[in-house]
Amino acid sequence: MLQFENMLFTIVILLYFAAMLLYFVYIAVKKDSLAKAAVVLQAAGLVLHTAALVCRGIGAGRLPMTNQYEFATSFAWGLCLVSLIFILRFKFPMLGAFAAPVILLIIGYAAMQSRAVRELMPALRSSWLGFHVSTAIIAYGAFGVSFVLSVIFLLRDRMQDQSFWDKRVPSREKLDLISYRSVSLGLLFLTFTIVTGAIWAEQAWGSYWSWDPKETWSLITWLIYAVFLHLRIRRGWKGKAAAIFAVVGFICVIFTYIGVNTFLPGIHSYA
Amino acid sequence: MLKKVWKFLSSMQFAVLLLVLLAAACALGSFITQGQSYDWYAAAYSPRLAAVIVAAYMDDMYHSWWFLLIAGFLCCNLLLCNVLRLPQLVRRMKAEADPQTALAGPVTVTRAGVRTPERLFARLHMPRPARMEAEGREALFAAKNRAGLWGAWVCHLGILCLILGFGLGQMTHQEYAVYGVAGQSKAVGDTGYLLTIDDFRVDLRPDDTVEQYTAAITVRDAASGARRSAEISVNRPASLFGLKFYQNSTGWAARVAVTKGGEPLQDAVLCVGEYLRVQDMPDLAVYFNAFYPDYVLVEGQGPATASGALRNPAYLYSVYYRDDIIGMNALLEGETIRIDDYEIRFTEPQSYTVIQVKRDRFTWLALAGGLITLLGLFLALYIQPRRLWAVREEDGTWTVSGYSAKGGVLFAEQFEDAAARDG
Repeated sequence: MLQFENMLFTIVILLYFAAMLLYFVYIAVKKDSLAKAAVVLQAAGLVLHTAALVCRGIGAGRLPMTNQYEFATSFAWGLCLVSLIFILRFKFPMLGAFAAPVILLIIGYAAMQSRAVRELMPALRSSWLGFHVSTAIIAYGAFGVSFVLSVIFLLRDRMQDQSFWDKRVPSREKLDLISYRSVSLGLLFLTFTIVTGAIWAEQAWGSYWSWDPKETWSLITWLIYAVFLHLRIRRGWKGKAAAIFAVVGFICVIFTYIGVNTFLPGIHSYA
Repeated sequence: MLKKVWKFLSSMQFAVLLLVLLAAACALGSFITQGQSYDWYAAAYSPRLAAVIVAAYMDDMYHSWWFLLIAGFLCCNLLLCNVLRLPQLVRRMKAEADPQTALAGPVTVTRAGVRTPERLFARLHMPRPARMEAEGREALFAAKNRAGLWGAWVCHLGILCLILGFGLGQMTHQEYAVYGVAGQSKAVGDTGYLLTIDDFRVDLRPDDTVEQYTAAITVRDAASGARRSAEISVNRPASLFGLKFYQNSTGWAARVAVTKGGEPLQDAVLCVGEYLRVQDMPDLAVYFNAFYPDYVLVEGQGPATASGALRNPAYLYSVYYRDDIIGMNALLEGETIRIDDYEIRFTEPQSYTVIQVKRDRFTWLALAGGLITLLGLFLALYIQPRRLWAVREEDGTWTVSGYSAKGGVLFAEQFEDAAARDG
């Protein structure tokens, strides 16, 4: 089963890479049918990615969400899923062109990690694992989409051939609202992650909050996005400033995921 | 002046400032190792930085007066904000459902010449519109998702409960660590309860990795004599007599027997990290440094264990005389330490368990706070109040208008799509 997962994982990388190339060609030749094909490829990649995760879960006999490789591949899966939902919901395939490189970067990071299946330490043997990590995957995916949307927002007016971009990229106002929607989704799920993590920590470690670096940085990420929402709602801080804030927020997300594990070891060090 | 201070304390600017300060303090606290001494910081960073860290209470940042002050101000801000906004919110709730307010209020989108407004209301998933008269003309009105107006208020309430629950828990909680091997009984701090470790087992997988640590415990109330038993393992704590017992960690212990001139003198269970002072010569002590269940001597590295299984046990010990170390070695099973007439032997290696005992009467408040925050966020972000109204024109068609403060251009698009489908 794990060999099958390895094979699927390789195919998934190739599919995401092909989707990215197709998105780029779409921008270069400005042919909308290519965008549709790229979305189909991305969706096919997502289906096989799901299958790869299921295979790993069956092969490992547990949820595939416990080490750097498993979380990285799940993070890429979450970003792919949320970006596809936003592409279809808002009829916005251009989003895929900017999301695909980020997905590839994350899955590339996963490919560099050890894929060995290790047995779970007792603290991880809990039914809260699924709730805690799966909500984090959706939260990170949604924040990833808000990052991508913010990059599009910031680049939108710098693009040559404005008529092409005007037709295929939503107005600044709509882009800003879509980004707000993705931050909303991310913040809601990040809150779920923190709450479920606290309940689990109380059972496993006897304390629902220990100021562990991972916990602390999740809180920092939460605070940053809370500031983002306050400024946006109360002060009408929309547009460019909000886009820059969303980029900073995603840098925090990445630091919480990779930076904390690398520089600030704590009781979450296995994750 | 007082009014200005009051206004600032309840303002959103102050809330944002506090959130940013809190985030910055948390980031700082995550980079500075907490709970160390000045000497540790001086060695790790520099004496000057160490002095700054200690002077600014950054060695215990999350309990420092200034961190607590920020959290306290945040609580004040949230409380004032909620108290001051409550009457406004109630008024807004009423106004949102009042057609007269809607007709005079802001408009997100409008369309004239609609023939069947009821279908447009249905397509936009609005409730059945109420019929009325507005300025002498027939009108329809519907509003939904008014609960969304309460989102921020509920969210603030949740965060308040969370901070309050956490703070009260930190101030009043009791926490003890009891460790020992199976068969031992120890007092749980000053609680008046006695904890007996009936059994402790470490379940290993075939590859020698640990699957679970399980302890069977009995707690006895010294005053009443009442007893309660439970089995605890990692992720499965037990509540007994209002205290919560957690299987926290484990380590190795061994039976240490001391003989003098061949006669038994002392017999005790010693955990790794503990001293045993010889009864009739207290200046002489044995320290249990480490235990290797599957002992190997790795060249260049020293003693190590090849696995977690008990295959070739070895005990690393140090002997102290008047606090000076006079010997250190690894002792294999069957070997003894000889000092003059004394003979010391390590036997029966076994796992000891560390049981964490805790009482936090405010965990429920923090948990409720977390859940209320979640509910508030859901209401604030996903339940978007919207209203739709239609006014009949003289030519018999209707002008339909809608308003959604948060929906903006997306609501307008949805409205236009629905209207276009109805022609």
